[in-house]
Amino acid sequence: MGNPSRMSEPLREALGSLLLAMADDEVLLGHRDAEWVGHAPILEADIAMASIAQDEIGHAILWYSLLHELGWPDPDRMAYFRDPPEFRNATLVELPRGDWAFTVVRQFLFDYAEKVRLEALMASAYRPLAEAAAKVRREETYHLMHSRAWVVRLGDATEESHRRMQAALDLAWPHALGLFEPAPGEDLRVAEGIQPPEAELRARWEAEVRPILEAASLVVPEAEPIDGGRKGQHTEHLAALLADFQLVARSGVGETW
Amino acid sequence: MGDTQWPVYEVFLQEKRGEPHVHVGAVHAPDPEMALILAKEQFVRRGRCVSLWVVPAEAIYASRAEEAEELFASALEKDYREPRGFRVTERVRRWMERHGESLPDV
Repeated sequence: MGNPSRMSEPLREALGSLLLAMADDEVLLGHRDAEWVGHAPILEADIAMASIAQDEIGHAILWYSLLHELGWPDPDRMAYFRDPPEFRNATLVELPRGDWAFTVVRQFLFDYAEKVRLEALMASAYRPLAEAAAKVRREETYHLMHSRAWVVRLGDATEESHRRMQAALDLAWPHALGLFEPAPGEDLRVAEGIQPPEAELRARWEAEVRPILEAASLVVPEAEPIDGGRKGQHTEHLAALLADFQLVARSGVGETW
Repeated sequence: MGDTQWPVYEVFLQEKRGEPHVHVGAVHAPDPEMALILAKEQFVRRGRCVSLWVVPAEAIYASRAEEAEELFASALEKDYREPRGFRVTERVRRWMERHGESLPDV
């Protein structure tokens, strides 16, 4: 399966809703990470975080481009000219950047979610998606090293770092579970071999992140997922983020750069 | 709060297998693993690399700047040890200059 024009309309919709969720997650996390430029704890961490931000936005462009091939508007229009209810990101990525501990914990939870998703999608029946997933997965190796190293160090470095990391995990965890809220059309995607069920991805993700968090002396909270993002229900933070993120594009409509 | 700077790690990059690791700069990091993670993003964002080393700067035992002159400069005339010291080289150079060509610096 690789030709959008030969796809049934419901399947095209189902595939698009997965790509939209993935693209929106990446573009907003990239923006939140980029907010650290000039503010990270040390110069080296600043540069590393800026690079990771660029990577995430690069992934977003890739997913938006696949979406464009299915008939959605072009990547710029998708990123800069939609309003909050049209975004399908999990709420995890729209939360304010918080302190360094929160940034590290959020990135860690997201990177591993992306890892299990990409590894599953490398076997997707939709060929363009499988090929893109393989490409992005290679780049994720560094992200995983980076975020795991920070989590393991800060988890039990000092009393203050532990306290901040635990608070960050308590806040981020239920929102991170929302990464696995199925985007509309999951049954069809699963039946067509485009992806495994989100519940399965979540189980694989938990099997990866729990031991690392435990090794970092952090306690995973008992919490229900904060869903809604995949249906366009967001926290109040998304509107503020988009006002900032979309400002330049929207104030110069039709300008050439 | 005291000094918030972490120790310095010197970074060495190998572009191709078989070639030497070349010093490219330094990073601050709390430990070797983090130094490698941060060095990757400082020095290998673009360009080729097949291997990266980080070495604690304090592990490097270096010559002292104030000794450099006595240690490394040759006080005596030793041109005869270098190819440029041969008289024939001068003659070739003069010939080439007359004919509008130049000899590469040795």
